[in-house]
Amino acid sequence: MSEPLNRLLAGLPLAEPDPVRTARVRESCRARLARSAPRPSAAPGSRRPLWQPLIAALGVAYLIAAVAQAVAVFTSNF
Amino acid sequence: MERETELALVARLRGGDPDAFDAVYGAFNSRLFTFLLRLSRRRDVAEDLLDETWLRLVKHARRLRPDTRLGAWLFTVARNLHVSYARSRLLEDSASASLIGLWPFSVERSSPFETAAANELERRIERTLAALPVASREVLLLVGVAGLDHSDAADVCGITPEALRQRLHRARETLSKALARETLGEQAVVKGMTSCPSR
Repeated sequence: MSEPLNRLLAGLPLAEPDPVRTARVRESCRARLARSAPRPSAAPGSRRPLWQPLIAALGVAYLIAAVAQAVAVFTSNF
Repeated sequence: MERETELALVARLRGGDPDAFDAVYGAFNSRLFTFLLRLSRRRDVAEDLLDETWLRLVKHARRLRPDTRLGAWLFTVARNLHVSYARSRLLEDSASASLIGLWPFSVERSSPFETAAANELERRIERTLAALPVASREVLLLVGVAGLDHSDAADVCGITPEALRQRLHRARETLSKALARETLGEQAVVKGMTSCPSR
């Protein structure tokens, strides 16, 4: 193709979409992207969920009680 | 856009950085819209497809490959959306035409660029571009107007770089001939008007 035709094509004007709609879509996309971002991992000890140690403690207490009861039953037979 | 900058933006997009999205949006929004507008020739359609293109980027941001070429990726999505739209429109039109009969549904509307062209030459190019077959028009728009390199444009169209080169060559020839034909036609009209005997 001739150079003038190249220049003509490259020089054709760009169009702009509706600015209000553009701003709305842009904001929506930014928000979605931010929501999809991976959450930073918490430092050890900080922001650790409370329910995990609580359940562990209850489990250990239950286990100790069960063992104690088994021992008591066993010793009472002798 | 520099390749290093592009790679950094891809990495930030994968990490969900909204500022990286802003940078990509600023770099490509007008070019994508112009591409879609010249393909569809309808502002409302181009705006819908543009919105969907950006939403697809956000949806797939986490899964982008680290070496993604953003221009090729975005224009591929935009082009595929336009192809889907054109197919559904074709189906709708053919269904309606079969119901109504001989109504000429394929009436070509003028491009929005044509009406807004700054000068006659620009208007003529817009008119000629709009009249080209879509396959020719899209390669001219991608390479000549949007400034994609041949490799990216080939990716967008789903063809090999060699096939793109040939398609581009044919499209440029068609455009040149159509422009020349139109110029000759106008000159003939002007000549006819001036040679008309005055009474």
